[in-house]
Amino acid sequence: MREVDERYFDRLESQLDDAFEVAQAAKRRGGDPVPEVEIPTARDMADRVENILGIDGVAERVRELEGEMSREEAALELVSDFVEGEVGDYDSKAGKVEGAVRTAVALLTEGVVAAPIEGIDRVEILENDDGTEFVNVYYAGPIRSAGGTAQALSVLVADYARALLGIEEYEARDEEINRYAEEIELYDKETGLQYSPKEKESKFIAEHMPIMLDGEATGDEEVSGFRDLERVDTNSARGGMCLVAAEGIALKAPKIQRYTRNLEEVDWPWLQDLIDGTIGKDGDEDGEEDAADEGDDGDEDEGDETSTSEDDGPPRADPSTKFLRDLIAGRPVFSHPSEPGGFRLRYGRARNHGNATAGVHPATMHLVDDFLATGTQIKTERPGKAAGVVPVDTIEGPTVKLANGDVRRVDDPAEAIEVRNGVEKVLDLGEYLVNYGEFVENNHPLVPASYTVEWWRQEFDDAGGDVQALQDDVHVDLADPTAEEALRWATDYDAPLHPKYTYCWHDVTVDAVGALAAAVEDAERAETDGAVAPTPSPDRGTDGDLVLPNREPVAQTLEHLLVEHTQREDTIVVPDWEPLVRTLGFDAALEREWSLGDLSEHARTYADGDNAIEAINEIAPFRLRERAPTRIGNRMGRPEKSEERELSPAVHTLFPIDEAGGAQRSVADATKHAEKMNDQQGLVEVEVGRRRCRDCGTETFRGRCPDCNGVTDAVYVCPDCDSEVEPDESGRAECAHCETMAYPTQYEAIDLGEEFRDALGAVGERETAFDIVKGVEGLTSKEKIPEPMEKGILRAKHDVSAFKDGTVRYDMTDLPVTAVRASELDVSVDQLRGLGYEADIHGDPLRHEDQLVELRVQDVVLSDGAAEHMLQTAAFVDDLLEQYYGLDRFYELDDREDLVGELVFGMAPHTSAATVGRVVGFTSAAVGYAHPYFHAAKRRNCFHPESRLWYEDEAGDWQYGPIADLVEERLDDPREDDFGTLVEELDGEVTVPSVDADGRPCRKPVEAVSKHHAPDHMVRIEVGDRSLRVTPDHTMLRRSGDGLEEAPASELSAGDELPAYDGGETTVMTASDAPQPSAGADDGVPFDEVVSVEYVDSDTNHVYCLTVADTHRVAIEGTYSGQCDGDEDCVMLLMDGLLNFSKTFLPNQRGGRMDAPLVMSSRIDPSEIDDEAHNMDIMREYPREFYEATREMADPEDVEDVMTIAEETLGTDHEYTGFDHTHDTTDIALGPDLSAYKTLGSMTDKMDAQLDLSRTLRAVDETDVAERIIEYHFLPDLIGNLRAFSRQEVRCLDCGEKYRRMPLTGDCRECGGRVNLTVHEGSVNKYIDTATMVAEEFDCREYTKQRLEILDKSIKRVFENDKNKQSGIADFM
Amino acid sequence: MPLETPARLVSELASRGYNAEREAVTLLADASDPNVALDRALETIPEDTLVLSADHVRTALESEHDADGGRSGNETRPADTTNPADTDPSVSTGTGPTSSTDSGGSTPVETEGSSTARSVRSSDPDQRSIEVHNDMTGQSTGTGEYSDFVSVFRDRYEKLSKQLRGRVNHRPTNALERMSGGEEAAIVGMVSDIRSTASGHWLIELEDTNGTFPCLVMKDRAIADLVQELLYDEVIAVDGTLADDGGILFVDSLHFPDIPRTHDPSTADRPVQAALISDVHVGSQEFMADAWHRFADWLHTEEAANVEYLLLAGDMVEGVGVYPDQDDELDVVDIYEQYERFSEYLKEIPGDIEIRMIPGNHDAVRLAEPQPAFDEELRDIMTAHDAQVHSNPALVTIEGVTVLMYHGVSLDEVIAELPDEKASYDEPHKAMYQLLKKRHVAPQYGGHTRLAPEDRDYLVMEEVPDVFHTGHVHKLGWGKYHNVLAINSGCWQAQTDFQKSVNIDPDAGFAPILDLDTLDMTVRKFV
Repeated sequence: MREVDERYFDRLESQLDDAFEVAQAAKRRGGDPVPEVEIPTARDMADRVENILGIDGVAERVRELEGEMSREEAALELVSDFVEGEVGDYDSKAGKVEGAVRTAVALLTEGVVAAPIEGIDRVEILENDDGTEFVNVYYAGPIRSAGGTAQALSVLVADYARALLGIEEYEARDEEINRYAEEIELYDKETGLQYSPKEKESKFIAEHMPIMLDGEATGDEEVSGFRDLERVDTNSARGGMCLVAAEGIALKAPKIQRYTRNLEEVDWPWLQDLIDGTIGKDGDEDGEEDAADEGDDGDEDEGDETSTSEDDGPPRADPSTKFLRDLIAGRPVFSHPSEPGGFRLRYGRARNHGNATAGVHPATMHLVDDFLATGTQIKTERPGKAAGVVPVDTIEGPTVKLANGDVRRVDDPAEAIEVRNGVEKVLDLGEYLVNYGEFVENNHPLVPASYTVEWWRQEFDDAGGDVQALQDDVHVDLADPTAEEALRWATDYDAPLHPKYTYCWHDVTVDAVGALAAAVEDAERAETDGAVAPTPSPDRGTDGDLVLPNREPVAQTLEHLLVEHTQREDTIVVPDWEPLVRTLGFDAALEREWSLGDLSEHARTYADGDNAIEAINEIAPFRLRERAPTRIGNRMGRPEKSEERELSPAVHTLFPIDEAGGAQRSVADATKHAEKMNDQQGLVEVEVGRRRCRDCGTETFRGRCPDCNGVTDAVYVCPDCDSEVEPDESGRAECAHCETMAYPTQYEAIDLGEEFRDALGAVGERETAFDIVKGVEGLTSKEKIPEPMEKGILRAKHDVSAFKDGTVRYDMTDLPVTAVRASELDVSVDQLRGLGYEADIHGDPLRHEDQLVELRVQDVVLSDGAAEHMLQTAAFVDDLLEQYYGLDRFYELDDREDLVGELVFGMAPHTSAATVGRVVGFTSAAVGYAHPYFHAAKRRNCFHPESRLWYEDEAGDWQYGPIADLVEERLDDPREDDFGTLVEELDGEVTVPSVDADGRPCRKPVEAVSKHHAPDHMVRIEVGDRSLRVTPDHTMLRRSGDGLEEAPASELSAGDELPAYDGGETTVMTASDAPQPSAGADDGVPFDEVVSVEYVDSDTNHVYCLTVADTHRVAIEGTYSGQCDGDEDCVMLLMDGLLNFSKTFLPNQRGGRMDAPLVMSSRIDPSEIDDEAHNMDIMREYPREFYEATREMADPEDVEDVMTIAEETLGTDHEYTGFDHTHDTTDIALGPDLSAYKTLGSMTDKMDAQLDLSRTLRAVDETDVAERIIEYHFLPDLIGNLRAFSRQEVRCLDCGEKYRRMPLTGDCRECGGRVNLTVHEGSVNKYIDTATMVAEEFDCREYTKQRLEILDKSIKRVFENDKNKQSGIADFM
Repeated sequence: MPLETPARLVSELASRGYNAEREAVTLLADASDPNVALDRALETIPEDTLVLSADHVRTALESEHDADGGRSGNETRPADTTNPADTDPSVSTGTGPTSSTDSGGSTPVETEGSSTARSVRSSDPDQRSIEVHNDMTGQSTGTGEYSDFVSVFRDRYEKLSKQLRGRVNHRPTNALERMSGGEEAAIVGMVSDIRSTASGHWLIELEDTNGTFPCLVMKDRAIADLVQELLYDEVIAVDGTLADDGGILFVDSLHFPDIPRTHDPSTADRPVQAALISDVHVGSQEFMADAWHRFADWLHTEEAANVEYLLLAGDMVEGVGVYPDQDDELDVVDIYEQYERFSEYLKEIPGDIEIRMIPGNHDAVRLAEPQPAFDEELRDIMTAHDAQVHSNPALVTIEGVTVLMYHGVSLDEVIAELPDEKASYDEPHKAMYQLLKKRHVAPQYGGHTRLAPEDRDYLVMEEVPDVFHTGHVHKLGWGKYHNVLAINSGCWQAQTDFQKSVNIDPDAGFAPILDLDTLDMTVRKFV
């Protein structure tokens, strides 16, 4: 490590240490449940593993072993440490095995996921039939996040530990073997496995498995045979076990075998049989592929990227239409696959560019009607599947044809905005910058490069041109030479014509070239104003414009060539025309000596005459390269995102107030609440911890003793015999007498009034300091320790809200950036210098605001919104320290520039490890820019694409359809983050039914929609007779008391009541935006009971999410739930995290620990981060060999010798530096700040804009767009709604009771109230007219029209009375 | 118009030595006076004509000259006509096709063009009779209101509870609540919920028009097995003992509406047969045109002389938009053209065979059940023959034999919900037994089967049918349940990619032939 890096990290860490000390002091004084900071610092992976496991000594041992062996081997090595008791403090054999297994999984997952803690429930020692002992490992659903190898290895580790401990092998009984087979098949059918073992394989594995694989039930579907087995607790499928057996053992057999061979104690000879004989290949490959590629799985052949041989035509990648799949209304297509006029691929990496990003010219962003903004995600044809858009203005902009006949290239965003209204056709979208690393990451063969100045310069140099001299010559701009210079260079040296004057000859036919040449023959030269010169001027100069007769197909040819010109009625005026006519074989006097007939057969028939590049090379007196051979099709994915994270309803304090606070959960209201007239106001019974002070024995519900401020411990009491139970080492407290689980909680009447007054008094605040303090209805943590209410009061004062773990968070979509300039970050050079930035990227001292400096790996750029939120948080933290903990203020920030240099935590969703970052500046783009290394691998939290919901589109029409439609349709111009998440912000015209903090239904606009890579698993929740699939830590709402609380989906269990949406009556389905005013708190939503919760395999590559304004809740599949949280990366203010995070607040369910900063990394070790970031190239210029290799369509590995990617610097002194880029950009926030997708209102507006745009863009086939919108958006909606109608459930309008089927009584059985449908006619037929209209207008296929026609009839035949038809004009036509 | 006209016309033509296209017969039958029209037609046709074509008839009817219009029609291959293979109903499907034999000299050799109709059916058309009940086409009054749904379920409860009232002494649920513990009680109720309790017993919530009442079936009782057969929203009766606190009924016995064991099916008075087919799927790339031709040809043979009726239980065409990207697998992409083609195939069927059809889930009608028959537009396409389309389900009585025709979408659900031994794709008739037992073609609401609310429940089997005919699952299976013949009639579509993926091997190209006088079945194979 360089000294400068060492200094940087030291500085971060000392800053961290300072904060840590303050926080420690505070924690000791305050009423926090744990008297110390609960986020341990981890410097490396070993630390993280230790911290996540909470087993001392692991880190040290891991570090020792790490240098010597692979992680897998280290995991096995650690087994003997555990067995011998050198690591971990376990007495029992089971404990030792458990420790070893957990450690192995933690090690293999790098200590960032919760699988080692949550995926392994426990290890037991059970007895075989012959009385010997065997090991039983009890897996849980989250083991999924560990992946197959870690799953498989966990078994091996357990077996190794078993062998070392001298425990016998598990002897499966016959019925157990059969059960495994049936269960795995059942699980596969229900949930799907990446690999589906055949029955005999499952049996084979079960028979030979030396340890017993067990687990908790994850599904409600039960096996039909082999039920009620003695040693199997459940009749349902045990998801964790199935995963380990199928995706672990069966799929990874070869990998395990490698390790068993090295272990004397462990012998799994049967693996060989599994590998050789019985593993089917088919399932295997499919699964792998699906998991690996995020794209839509599909029927389109993606495979063949290679092209036809040279003789038939130019080298080209085959067009792929995959990205167009699932096109939805509102998210435009920018280019059809490989279509001329679409984005032109240019190789290079801009400084704000990394993997899964695409550099687009800001002028293009404006000219696609602002559908693209910084961070908008696009789905793309290649090399990846999706990319986040970043603005790069050093590439070529779009070429447009204006209404006045001008055809010109627009390279200036300001000009783009100016001419935008006059654009008749976008002839070309400009260049599209993709870095080499993206091809490496996606293992995509290189595709032919555009001819650009980078390449030309090297060719010119090689041909003997004195590039250096020309570069030094102030009169020459190598990137933008004059025509005269370019022609001279081309003729004097054996180098191709400069790209500036190389036109897209490959996009025109040979015949078109002939026609153009004929027109040039008839051309005249005119004065500069375009007036035709009466006689050709005698000198042979090129003054004046060339005036061609405007005849077919000359204008079009020029447009396709991307020659700037002006079209008049009869003439075409071409300025700067000499290179064009010289290329066409004319001399300056417009004479030529060739005709089409002179061309060789080869040139005339090259690519069937559709590509004139060979012809033009025969005609021209110099060489020409293909200007833009590769066009990249793409369409909008999701919009960008930047917003604070709130629970819904927003929570200020994690203090339970039951239902006393009303739907708002107002603590103040709760203090006045009384159930009955005579009840004491504010006395509320809530479930809280039963605790006892360690020091004085006082019983309390608090984390700290109210008398002596000592730490309290949970007291477990058996519900049956009321005796106290000591929890065992794994934290299970089972009553020895009754064999029931003891509880650490009890119901206690708490005087909220007193609590509230005391808390206000303690922090010296009055009620006027804030609008409302919101509590939670009940606590979800295991021991149910309330947070001190004082914290909530101060949060309310500063208008920040708490996340489930007590922290305040802000979400931002990530974009990478490796070099920044002070001017774009809104900071001064002095500030940057103050942060230790001393030199710019060239090594010159940093003096000016526009000098580029290389960004340090842990420095982050906050969006404006994030900065504002951080300031509020800082003010809250300062007040907290001063008024609650009695310490000095820590931050004392006046304005946002004071934020620069402050530390934050960055966290990726689904992970359990935070990374420390430092604020370096701000950007107006709605994204968080940081070093690519800072962005760790992410998993996302969302709804299954087929989840259906109601929403009112931009046109004010209510729709019911899959979330995929809602989202996809609106991914017009999405931003893609570093991880392929597409985000599109909406500007609030789509509204969805939601439920407010008070539990009252309302309607809220959707602020953004997003599409994410699916995690491996999702949770399926059966509610009533519906089911909802969400990612495991998706926030769901459930009933607690008479209000709602939030819980991750994985924490729900059968019997929980979820708020139900009845589709129309509890919310106003007419076009009013106002939340339905409710008469009283009783008017809450109805509830549905959870039937089952289970982990299921993701069967899709994407999941979808919405961001709903204010409430962040949405009704989906008839259930109100939280929107996806953990949706984006979030940042937390460091001190807030240190002070307020506590594990004791975390929900006591599976997945509860995900998304919580269980550990923090104080420094990034580049070797330990996701490999993806290592594939980024870090060069200043790509070599000529690279460009030439692209024309061979070589594999990216073939050129790795001449390319430099970040991987090469790993482990060297330069691992934190030297991230060079090939392209600069003026500002990392160019282009629109927000995508039109977010600024446009209704769905219809967006769709109209999308269709309009499709007509404007040359590369887009508008009929196809319309077809796809109908196919993927309207039809599924119509079909889905019609289906939903005929099997809907009903709901009582009065009490909210829901019925699977209409009660025979007609009225509500519970309350006698009115029952009504949840799906109405209006929701079924709302799209049919629009869809039919679009189908007509855009001339869709008969097939599509007929489908609509039949649907229309079907709808009518359901809703029309044959005997009393509602006749309309249509009936008579 | 009397239904027997076409048949009579055909025999009249036959007696005069002419064959006729089916369409021609239809045109004649539709004429104001068929006999006059027939005479005129025969006068105007060229002398050497053997087959009376539609054009001839039109020409005759319009009394003006018309060029000999090109007749569309499918070439038939008489030589390929395969003799029925499996004539023994007890032999299961799957044996290879027997080699073709001469299908009999009675078949006219000149089968050029459309199928011809020199009748092999000698019987007196007057003997034919066909009546249709429960056809809701044009009777749909539901407008998708909540009350419509309630009406349907109430009607179902009423009709089915009638079947059960005699067997138990029903107490209304609200009355049960007032009864004291330990008393004997019985309920006739609609199944509104089925749960298994923590201890493995079954808790069934039964609903009547007053409310619901929980009934517990102990897991160790013999009737516990019956619980496995229960579907939501069917109507059953239970009797048993009220728990001590009166809040629950311990079930001693459980009754389904069921078909009476004493059911004595009606039969025709003469040896006459009906062909029961379904799932033709014209327009699909997998449609087995050759098998169809052989089937049609066979109907022209002497052997098929007694086949006077053809019943088709849905899915005449493959449809459009039935599943995603279906257009890639369609032979005929245009839905109307699919029906036109189907119509052409139907023309191959001898003109004197009475055809009755109901729509299925691939047809271009609403999917929600009951499904009304086609609208005008589709009917217009198929006016070329006189095949009648009724709603799904419909009760068709042929010469006294009542055939309940139902497409069979609910079979999927029955097969999915019930244990394999009670219902499986390999034995679709067993799933049909369940429906017969429940006396409802699609009891479970809210799942697979879609319901369109009407003023009454057309899906109840109010009357006991003699034959229950379904299709949909593309498997051939038949058997008798309490003397009711249940027949699921296979299909005319070879295995599709989808079926391959879910390992369904369809029974394609079979035509079960039912003896209406004995209710015996013969399965003819045309593959």
